[in-house]
Amino acid sequence: MPGISPQTQQAISERWRAAIIQTYPGLTAEFLRQEKDPFRNPVGAALREGIPCLVAELFGAMDPGKVSQALEGIVRIRAIQDFSPKQAVGFVFELRDILRDVLRAPEAPLGELHKRIDEMALVAFDVFMRCREQVYEVRLSEARRAEGFRKRMVSRDAGG
Amino acid sequence: MSEALPKHEELVQIRYDVPRNGWRSAHVDFRKGTYSYSAAPKNVQYLGMANPRHWRPTDKDWKLPPDWKQIILRGMKERLEKFRSFRLFMDICVRCGACADKCHFYLGSADPKNMPVLRAELVRSVYRRYFTASGRLFRGLAGGRELTEDVLKEWFYYFYQCTECRRCSVFCPFGIDTAEVTMIVRELLNLVGVNTNWVLEPAANCFRTGNHLGVQPHGFKDSIDFAVDELEELTGIRVEAPINKKGAEILFVVPSADYFATPHYYTLLGYLALFHEIGLDYTFSAYASEGGNFGLFNSHELMKRLNNKIYAEAKRLGVKWILGGECGHMWRVLHQYMDTMNGPADFLEEPVSPVTGTRFENARSTKMVHICELTADLIHNGKLKLDPSHNDHWRVTFHDSCNPARGMGLLEEPRYILRNVVNHFFEMPENTIREQTFCCGSGAGLGTDENIEMRLRGGLPRANAVKYVRDKHGVNLLTCICAIDKATLPTLLEYWTPGVEVGGVHELVANALVMKGEKDRTTDLRGEPFPAKEAAVHA
Repeated sequence: MPGISPQTQQAISERWRAAIIQTYPGLTAEFLRQEKDPFRNPVGAALREGIPCLVAELFGAMDPGKVSQALEGIVRIRAIQDFSPKQAVGFVFELRDILRDVLRAPEAPLGELHKRIDEMALVAFDVFMRCREQVYEVRLSEARRAEGFRKRMVSRDAGG
Repeated sequence: MSEALPKHEELVQIRYDVPRNGWRSAHVDFRKGTYSYSAAPKNVQYLGMANPRHWRPTDKDWKLPPDWKQIILRGMKERLEKFRSFRLFMDICVRCGACADKCHFYLGSADPKNMPVLRAELVRSVYRRYFTASGRLFRGLAGGRELTEDVLKEWFYYFYQCTECRRCSVFCPFGIDTAEVTMIVRELLNLVGVNTNWVLEPAANCFRTGNHLGVQPHGFKDSIDFAVDELEELTGIRVEAPINKKGAEILFVVPSADYFATPHYYTLLGYLALFHEIGLDYTFSAYASEGGNFGLFNSHELMKRLNNKIYAEAKRLGVKWILGGECGHMWRVLHQYMDTMNGPADFLEEPVSPVTGTRFENARSTKMVHICELTADLIHNGKLKLDPSHNDHWRVTFHDSCNPARGMGLLEEPRYILRNVVNHFFEMPENTIREQTFCCGSGAGLGTDENIEMRLRGGLPRANAVKYVRDKHGVNLLTCICAIDKATLPTLLEYWTPGVEVGGVHELVANALVMKGEKDRTTDLRGEPFPAKEAAVHA
């Protein structure tokens, strides 16, 4: 999608990141915004990394692999935080207002962009569901691991 | 089109002001996956603790005793008088915020009440209201809060989101040990029967059978025998693993998971191989068959009662000193409390390595040595024949388990051992290891499966650092020296950082150990082919 300068993309990224950060409680939002060390601030780092990729894809090729990977970094965290499903993936739709504000020119291809936003939201939902299923899978794996040793002993006693 | 766009500076008009969400509101939503189940009445009864009953955290009525408020306030008063530390920690915090962003639960959950300063404020506000003159007079104006049922429920929620890892206290300029604040609040909750089954059941088991898992003496022997058989299959050497052997030189105490869980079990095989190789005169005990101490997560009285059996058994068996295995919080208890709680162990001798003659002066008082100290000393004195290439299929990093690292300062020994037994060792980023290590998020009695979401939140900062070394160096094994880590990190990594397994330091020691008289070993302790042998087969 030609004509959207890197500066504008960066501005959109920053507005979007700020909007997502506002979904966290007040004191935390300040910390997530300010702390740049990825190890001291893993949630903030995931947003810093993922959001610019998503914006680049929004105006670029919408590569399914890259979109999914970038969303994965963000949604995997939100899937286990105190969010409802709607809140966990709803941040994608924040883009609509941001684009409307930023791309004020009448020739801005908002229609096509909105389709892409819908596509992103659906991918985010896929990622969210995958993560939620994984939460139950890892819980099950843990239970299996706990049983594993006992089973081995029983199987030895049974001559197995 | 770009002409019509606002300028970059105009676009980033972000509101930086902090919304004013009142922290004083104590209401908690108990969402599935974020709390542990309440203690079963039989376990509460078994331990002789207060108010056994059926209840659930999601119930509106927690069936508290009618005078619960007086009980809590009386309990606070007693503890303020008894523990100077508690009163200090209630009084001296200046809200500087140094601890605020240091808690793994805060970083992973983004919940401000997990900032250590705010979590402690949940109890400090009650202290201020009832135990300071200004609070009694001016209440809320002086930062006080009424003690209500909602406040009690909030305590239960948040003080079981603290793993007592003490990372925050490393950064506190006053040295406030937030873990001790958590310990006191959990004690208070216990006074009215508010506790979790994951903590009380292991403690009750420990009383009944000597270990958390409730394994009875014959079951304990059976699993040790099983390990001896398996080690023989792997190495061709039949080792001895004495249990309750009177007159042995050393009593060896391990966490029960070592002989009943995976991947801990490979570490147990490692101990057995190592002890055989150096000819150690040691014994396990079926009575002190648990190093871990879930009393620590409950009350100092319970911790003392559970810890007592180690010295009692050392005395009964007539050993000279005690050796401890790869366990986490066991070492916090041993290093910081055992000596004054159940000591002095004047019937034991200052530990001396029977192989190298090294005197463990640091353990002069407790008479208890960490196995990593023993092994590092053996390697340092050239007493072990090691072939690190046996571990070439592992690209290894080391997770400092909170209690050995921050609780007792055991930072160098495990690293020294690893550097001698593996060829590919990589550290995680500096601010995530050693004193600044991030907790697994499942310690202090939180490691239960129903609490999985909270654990995944708390484990994020650790997993994030593991991801870094996985992506940068191809790390595929996270080693650690704590049984809770070994039980819970595989789960966390499966979610956050797939492709990285978890193992113990002594598992890798025994992989590398070349034993006298061993058969031509082709596999490691997990039954995986040694890389060099595998390459030879393919060639």
